[in-house]
Amino acid sequence: MADSPEAIKKSIRTYLIVMGALFVGTVLTYFVATSPMLDFGGHGFDAVDCVIGLSIATVKASLVAAIFMHLNHEKKPIYWIFFGSFVFVAALGALLALAYVSPIHDKFFPGAKAAHHGDKE
Amino acid sequence: MEIPYVVTPRKDTGLINSKIAIWLFLASEVMLFGGFFSAYVFLRVDADYPWPERALPVIPGLVNTFVLIASSVTVVFAWASLKLRKWRQFQAYMLFTLLCAATFMVLKGIEYNVKFHHQALRMTDGAIIEGHLGYELKEGADKHHPKEDDYELDHKGRKIEENLIYIEATQVTFNTVRFHKDWVEEIMAEAKAHGSKLTLAEDLKMKTERDQKEPVTFLPKGTELSIEVLNKIAEQHLEARKNNAKLRTNDLREAWVAAKNEHPGKRDWEIVDKVAVNPEHFADKTLTEMPSVAFKLDHPAKLEFFPRDVKEGPTQSRLRDETTIDGKLLESPMVFHYVDALDFRYLAMKAKDRKLDPMTEVEKSWILANNKDLKAAWEWHKGEIAKLEEELKKDSREPTFTERYRIEWKDFVAKAENKPRSERDSVVLAKEQIFGPDYDEREKIEAFPMHVEIPREEVAFASKFAPAWNTYYAIYFTMTGLHGLHVIGGALVLAYYLFFGKKMYLTNPEWLANRVEIGGLFWHFVDLVWIFLFPLLYLM
Repeated sequence: MADSPEAIKKSIRTYLIVMGALFVGTVLTYFVATSPMLDFGGHGFDAVDCVIGLSIATVKASLVAAIFMHLNHEKKPIYWIFFGSFVFVAALGALLALAYVSPIHDKFFPGAKAAHHGDKE
Repeated sequence: MEIPYVVTPRKDTGLINSKIAIWLFLASEVMLFGGFFSAYVFLRVDADYPWPERALPVIPGLVNTFVLIASSVTVVFAWASLKLRKWRQFQAYMLFTLLCAATFMVLKGIEYNVKFHHQALRMTDGAIIEGHLGYELKEGADKHHPKEDDYELDHKGRKIEENLIYIEATQVTFNTVRFHKDWVEEIMAEAKAHGSKLTLAEDLKMKTERDQKEPVTFLPKGTELSIEVLNKIAEQHLEARKNNAKLRTNDLREAWVAAKNEHPGKRDWEIVDKVAVNPEHFADKTLTEMPSVAFKLDHPAKLEFFPRDVKEGPTQSRLRDETTIDGKLLESPMVFHYVDALDFRYLAMKAKDRKLDPMTEVEKSWILANNKDLKAAWEWHKGEIAKLEEELKKDSREPTFTERYRIEWKDFVAKAENKPRSERDSVVLAKEQIFGPDYDEREKIEAFPMHVEIPREEVAFASKFAPAWNTYYAIYFTMTGLHGLHVIGGALVLAYYLFFGKKMYLTNPEWLANRVEIGGLFWHFVDLVWIFLFPLLYLM
């Protein structure tokens, strides 16, 4: 981590560049969602716009984590602690995904017809 | 007590203790918000109604994103200033960070406030109307442009929102244990305002002592309703219930003993059907329970209730505290002062489910059949969609489901200005993006469908844009509310460093720098969460 005065002064420039990148990323996300010029995939919001929007958000979040939170040069225990938590998040997501194999989605389940709301746009 | 390893790192971890602590905390935060993000995904994927896309004002959300990013940078600068031992600079950056936090919360507050005043209504046929409710007006007042003294006021001098259930009450029966004091007082005040009063419908005969042979008059017919009277009955009822429960328990105990003696060596489950309470054993000792008590109005009075508090019926209605109101349900329409969106997506989705043509079902909807302004707006909208369809056909694209089945205030305005939505003045559009529609201005030119009356029987569900409206708003308020609490918490910690850090700066500046770094890490995390919340809730 930048600890010496010289190193800190140097990293200030990096912080400003990252801030610029975050602003640009935000504006880009906004236009991808709202401008017809940057409407990828089908007309209007769809999976393509969703992937693009969330990809930009992920890049922005990575910049904040790497540069502002100094994760680009941290000690090992921090990586284990922080990234370890994502394993639990993934496990939770997987548990929720299991809802899709629950009987309610089984067409032979007695309540399936009532529970299933049919095709959606 | 000296706290170890707050300035110099521990040898084994190479880190100061507080840093390990904040990362452990942030790891738990990842799991907390991760849970909510998962919930969001599954609520959205499995929603049985059209998910509201871009339902929130985008520009305030966008501004808040910039504000949080800027504050994230200044909090790093504040830390760097401390490292360089520049106190004044630290103060300036930290103050800016706090101002950003305040700006964020003010914008969020405005956003919430708008939601809590915006009415949504789902009709029995599935059509959804959004807008702002009107207030009861005096006879002969101009419905479209009422003046301040045109409003009808309730007995407390407040304007009456046109979303009340009116009952011509003849009798009110209270649950003696569950009655809600405020509602009882409200009913009494309303009855009084109508020149009526509530009195006990019949003599209240109760056996209050074990040695009494017959029930005696506990309260005579005609006793006027008051909280004290209800409390007195409740107290006696609870006393009787306690007494009777004790008698039943004793009898049951004796029944068990008798059964055990009669069937020695048998297990409990083998003789359970031979054990029963016999009320005749203690009939002379039981006291009278009085779970509910009826009060009559000396002449029928028009009582009003919020829809959320009452389940109305033609001759009998029930409040949430189990109070029963006997009396005729009067006309209680919901009246929108103006409508700012008409949404047929749910109706169309349900029609598709039933293999019906959505457009035909929309045309048949109650609102289009009964409101000529909205019918005209729908016809205009169909024309606009036809043009859009033609235009998109060139690129083998087609209008979205939302474009087809939803008309919102921007369309109403475009119709009033008689030009397509895409050709409206860009300065006005930008202003509307930030502040929403200029209702006063639009009201003058009557851009919005005004004074739309919906009979109560056509209302399937109505709510402000609050968590009750749908799962989108539930998760929106949960996630942004939790995030807002993090902003407040983080800002308080940073404010502490700013306003009470000078002493530490003078004695141990490195310790303060480390503290600011820890607070800063939390602040960055708050920014990081918002980076995902903004596109998910505002743009998608």
